[in-house]
Amino acid sequence: MSNYYDDEEELKTQDNLKTIRRTLAQTRPHWRWIVGFLVTIAIVSVLDSVYTYLRKEIVDQAILAGSQAVFRQALIAYAATVLVQALGVFGFIYLTGILGQRILYDLRQAMFNHLQELSFAYFNRTPVGWIMARVTSDTERVSNLLTWGLLDITWGVFNIATSAFFMFIINWRLALIVLTILPILLVVAAQFQKRILAEYRRVRRFNSKIVGAYNENITGVRVVKALCREKENLREFSQFSGDMYRASYHAAWLSALFLPVVQMITALALGSIIWYSGRQAQWGGMTIGSIQAFVSYLTFIMWPIQDLARVYAELQHAVASAERIFSLLDTVPSISDRPGAMDPGTVRGDVSFEHVYFDYDPDTPVLADFNLQVKQGETIALVGPTGGGKSTIVNLLCRFYEPRKGVIRMAEHDYTELSLHAIQSRIGIVLQTPHLFSGTVRENIRYGRLEATDEQVEEAARVAGAHDFIVKLGKGYDSGVGEGGQLLSVGQKQLISLARALLAQPDIFVMDEATSSVDTLTEALIQKGMEALMEGRTSFVIAHRLSTIKRAGRILFIDDGRIVEMGSHAELLRTRGRYYRLYVQQFRQELQREQELYEMGAAAS
Amino acid sequence: MSLSATTSEYDLKNAVTPNRLLGLWRLMTGFRLTYLGATLGLALAATSKVATFLLLRYFVDGILGQDNMAHIVPRIALAFVGLALFEGTFTFLSRSLAARTAEGITLRLRDYLFDHIQRLSFTYHDRTPTGELLERCTSDVDAVRRFFADQAIGVGRILSLFGVSVIALLRLNVRLALTSIVVVPVLVVMSLFFFRKVSKAYEAMQEQEAILSTTLQENLPGVRVVKAFARQEFEREKFERDNWEKFERGKRFMKLHSLYWPLSDVLCGAQMLVGVSTGALMTMNGTISIGTYLAYTGLLIWVIWPMRNLGRFIVQMSSGLVSYQRVAKVIGEKREPLAAGTCRPDGDVRGEIVFDEVGFVYPSGYRALDSVCFRCKPGQAIALLGSTGSGKTTLVNLLPRFYEYSDGSLTLDGVELNHYPRSFLRQQIGIVEQEPFLFSRTIRENMTYGVRREVSDAEIEAAAKAAAIHQDIIEFPQGYDTLVGERGVMLSGGQKQRVAIARTLLKDPRILILDDSTSSVDTETEHLIRQALQGLMKGRTTFIIAHRIQSVMNADLILVFDKGKVVQMGAHAELMQQDGIYRRIHDLQTRLDIELEKEIASVQLL
Repeated sequence: MSNYYDDEEELKTQDNLKTIRRTLAQTRPHWRWIVGFLVTIAIVSVLDSVYTYLRKEIVDQAILAGSQAVFRQALIAYAATVLVQALGVFGFIYLTGILGQRILYDLRQAMFNHLQELSFAYFNRTPVGWIMARVTSDTERVSNLLTWGLLDITWGVFNIATSAFFMFIINWRLALIVLTILPILLVVAAQFQKRILAEYRRVRRFNSKIVGAYNENITGVRVVKALCREKENLREFSQFSGDMYRASYHAAWLSALFLPVVQMITALALGSIIWYSGRQAQWGGMTIGSIQAFVSYLTFIMWPIQDLARVYAELQHAVASAERIFSLLDTVPSISDRPGAMDPGTVRGDVSFEHVYFDYDPDTPVLADFNLQVKQGETIALVGPTGGGKSTIVNLLCRFYEPRKGVIRMAEHDYTELSLHAIQSRIGIVLQTPHLFSGTVRENIRYGRLEATDEQVEEAARVAGAHDFIVKLGKGYDSGVGEGGQLLSVGQKQLISLARALLAQPDIFVMDEATSSVDTLTEALIQKGMEALMEGRTSFVIAHRLSTIKRAGRILFIDDGRIVEMGSHAELLRTRGRYYRLYVQQFRQELQREQELYEMGAAAS
Repeated sequence: MSLSATTSEYDLKNAVTPNRLLGLWRLMTGFRLTYLGATLGLALAATSKVATFLLLRYFVDGILGQDNMAHIVPRIALAFVGLALFEGTFTFLSRSLAARTAEGITLRLRDYLFDHIQRLSFTYHDRTPTGELLERCTSDVDAVRRFFADQAIGVGRILSLFGVSVIALLRLNVRLALTSIVVVPVLVVMSLFFFRKVSKAYEAMQEQEAILSTTLQENLPGVRVVKAFARQEFEREKFERDNWEKFERGKRFMKLHSLYWPLSDVLCGAQMLVGVSTGALMTMNGTISIGTYLAYTGLLIWVIWPMRNLGRFIVQMSSGLVSYQRVAKVIGEKREPLAAGTCRPDGDVRGEIVFDEVGFVYPSGYRALDSVCFRCKPGQAIALLGSTGSGKTTLVNLLPRFYEYSDGSLTLDGVELNHYPRSFLRQQIGIVEQEPFLFSRTIRENMTYGVRREVSDAEIEAAAKAAAIHQDIIEFPQGYDTLVGERGVMLSGGQKQRVAIARTLLKDPRILILDDSTSSVDTETEHLIRQALQGLMKGRTTFIIAHRIQSVMNADLILVFDKGKVVQMGAHAELMQQDGIYRRIHDLQTRLDIELEKEIASVQLL
C-alpha cells in the first residue's frame, strides 16, 4: 500500500504519449479558449520584441539621425504597443486562469461522479487518502499543465523565435555567434534544475518527518512525560531538524547560484557582442541602438531557457497525475446493472441464499455453499465471532458485493436481474458506527427520503425515539451535527440513522448493532426504534445485545462462513453449544456494563 | 555547517514581546551579522547592475568612434563581464546568506518548540487542541521562515535597486530622474491595494477548497450510506454545488490578476513612454549625450517594473508577523521544571505514600478532588473504584506531579511530594494505560522507550515473556523489529497493552499505576493480561484504577470515589460489612449468576 502514497511514482514511458493525447482531449470542449490564450500569449511575446525594436529605432533612426517625423511615428507605435500588449496580458491571464479553474471543475466533477458508481470492493482496497489526493492535487496539476504549462511553453518558444528573428534582422553574423551559447545555457540550466528539484524533494521528505515527529510528540506527550523521555526525544528530533536544515539550505544555495551562473554566461555573450561591435562599429556595421537591442533580445532568450527544466519536470509530474486520474476514471464498477435490469416496484417477499459462494480474495474463501431461506417479515439475528462472515452476508444481501457462485433471490427474482437502485433504495441500513454528513439533524434524517416534509421528518424521529434528545440540542432539528456527526454521541448518531432509515420506509431492514457502550437510556430508545423498524419487515440484524437476540425469530450462529447453529433463543440455549457459551459471556458483560454505567452513579446519589 | 554553541543556546523565551517587529529582530539573535551581510550583498548587487549602465554610457560616449578604440574595447568588454561577475557574486552571496539566516532561525525555532511542547504542563495540553499546536509548529514556523528568506529580502532587493538607480539617475540628470519616478507612488499604492484584495480572494478560494475536500472526505467513507439510500444523484448535486462555488471563487481570484497586471503594465508602459520621449527629446536638443540616454532607458526599467511586486511582499510580510505572534504565544507558555526540587534521594523510593486532606482544583475552578486521606505501605495495592469523573484518574495523576495538588499534604517516604524533582518521581513511577500510546517505531524500540540504560535482547525477551506478548511478537514476520505504525495501529488493543506492560517491566519502577480495563479483548487475552499484571505488581506500590470488582477484591486497600471524595475505604472484607456502594456493586455481581441460572432453567422447561 505504501506506493499508494508516493506522489512521484516513475512513469511507464510507453504510455506517456497516449496519456498526453488523452489529457489534451480533455480540453476539446474548450478549444476556443485554448486557441484564445495561445494567440494572446503569442502576441504578447512578439510585442515584447517589438518594443525593443522600437527603442532601437528611436535611438538609431530618430535620435542619431535627428528625425522628428520618425520619432513621432515611433512614439505612436510605442503607445499603441503598450495598449495592445496590456489587452493581450489581460486576455491571456483571464482566459488561462478561468479555463484552468474550469478544467479543474470538470475533472473533479467527472471523478466524483464516477466514484459514486464504483463498487464497494474498490473502496475496500483503495485508501481514502489516495482517492483524495487524486481528486484534489492531481487534478490541479493536470489543469495547470493544460493551461499555465501550455502557456509557458508557447511563451518560451515565441520569445526565443522572435528574439532570434530580430537578432538576425539586425545583424545575422552576430546573431549566429550569440546563438552558439544557447546549447551551453540549456545544458547548464537543465543540470541545475535537476539538482534543485531533487533537493526540494528531499526537503519535502524531511518536512513530513518533522511534522510526524511533532504530531507524535503532541499526541503522546503524556507518555513522553511519564517516561521522562524529553532529552532523548529532543536529541532524535535534532537529527531530523538538522537534516532539514542542511537540505533546505543546500536547495536555497543551489537556487541562489543558478541565476548568477546563467547571468554570467549571458554576460560573456554580451561581452563578446561589445567586443565584436566595437570592431564592427569601426566598419560602421553595428549601430548603438542595435547593441542595446541585442542585449535585450539575449535576455529574452535567457528567461525561458532557465525555466525550461522546471516546466519539463512539471510536465512529467502532470502526466503521472493524469495517468492516475485516468486509472480512476477507467475503473469499471464491478457491480452494475445487467442489461435489461428491472425494477419490480418492491422487494417485499421471501429472501433466499442458494448455494452462495463468496470471497474477497481467492485465497481465503469466506462463504462456501451458503444456504438460507427467510420468510417475509421474519427477523434474523446474526451472531458469532468477528470475521466469521456476518458482515459478508449482509453486504451480499445489500448487493454491495455479488456472489461468486450461486443465487440470491429477492421478491422471486434472482437479484442480479433487478437494478441496483431497485434493491438498494428499498433496503434500510443502520450501521454500527453510523455515518452522518455534516449539516443539520434535519438534513441528515431527510437523507432517507428527500421529498419528506418537516412533519414527516419529525414523525420519523419520534418513532425512532430520537425526537426527545433532538429538541434538547441547541437549535433542535436545525442543530449542526459536525463533520461526520462528531458533535453527537455514538448512541445519538444511531438514533438519527434509525430515523433516517424509518423515513425511507424500506422493504428490508438491515442493522449492525453497536458494540461500543451506549448509556442505558439511549440503549432503550435504540431498542424501541429498532422494533419500530422491524415491524412487518424482513430484518437482518448483526446482533450484540441480548434483548435484540432474544427477540429475533431466528438466530444464526455464523462462523467460518457457515451457519454453525440455527434456531430460536430457547432452542439454542438448550443445545448448550456455541450459542450457549456466547450468551453466558454476553450476559455477564452486559450486566457488568450496567453496573459500571448505571449502578455506580445511581447508588451513590 | 551547524550552528555555533552560543547561537543555539539563545533562549527564545527572550524573543517573546508584544512588539512583533522587535520580536522578529530578537529571533535574529546570533544571525544579525549574517543577515546584515545579506543586505549588504543586495546593495552591492544593485550597485553593480547600475554601474553596468554607467559603463555603457562611458563606452558609447567616450570610446565608440574614437581612434584608439580597438585597444580599449577588449578592456571595456572585460569590465562588463567583471561587473556581471560582481553582480552575480553579490546576488548569490546575499541569497545564500539570507537562506542561512532563515534556515538557522527556523532550525532553532523548531528544536525549541519541540522541546517546549514536551515540557509544557498537562494543564496546557488539556486545553490545547492537537491540530492547533501542530499548525503553529509547522505552518506558522514556515511563515516566519519565509519572512526572512523571501519577503524581507524581496522588499530589500526592490528598494535597494530603486534607491541606487534613482541616485544614479539624479546624477545623470535631475529633471529626467524626477520625471521618471512620477508613477512610482501610484504603482506602490495600487500594488498594495491589489495584493491585499488578492490575498483575501486567495483565502476565500482556499477555504472553499477545504470545504470541497471535506465533502469528499465525508462522501468516501460514507459510500455505504450513499448506496444504501441510493443517493448518488443527491451527492453529485451537493458536490457540484461546492465544486461550482470553488470555480466561482477561483474565477474571482483570476479576474483580479487579469485586471491588475495589464493595468500596471499600462501604467509602467506610460511611464516608459514619458521617460523615453523626454530622454530622446533631450538627446536631440543635445541636453544629454546619447550614452546618457542609453544608460537612462536601461535604468528606467529597473526603477519601475520591480515596484509592481512590492505590494505582494509587503502583504505577505504582514502574514509573517501574524505567524510570529502565534508562535510567540506558544513559546511564552511556562515550562514545567523537571529537575527543580530539594529532595533527590540516591536510590529508589520505598513507596510509602500518605495523603492528608489532599485536594485538587482545575484551573477552570472545577474541584476534582476534595480532602482525600489515606495511607499506604510500600508494596501495597490500592484499588480506586468509582464512576467516570469521580476523581480516580486525577488522584493518580498527582503522583508523578502531572498536576500539582492544590491543598493538603501528600508525602512519599515521609517527604512532601513537591520537594522531589518531577524527573525523579517519573522515573520511580510506571504507568500502564487502558489504551497505551505506542510510538511509530519497532516493537523493540517501544519496549525500551524511556528505559535509561542499555537493555540486552535477552532482557527484552524476558520482559515480553513476562508480559505474555513474546509469542505474538515472534509470529510477526519481523519479530521484535516489526514497526507498529502510527500510534501502534498495527497492533490490537490487547497487544498494545501488553507491550506497555513489558515496557514498564523493563523500566522497573517502584510505584505502579494501572488502568485495569480489558474491555476490548477476548477472554483468552484478558486472562493473559491479568497474569502479566499480577507479575508486574509484585513488590511495587500499586494504584489500580479499577473497572470491575474482581480486580479489586485482592487489593490491600479499596477507595470508593464519588464526586471527588472518598466515600468508602477499607479492604474487601471490611467493606462487605458496611452498607454502601461497594456491597451493592458486589451484590449485583452475584445476582448476575443467579439470574443466568434462572434464565437457563426456564429455557429447559420449555
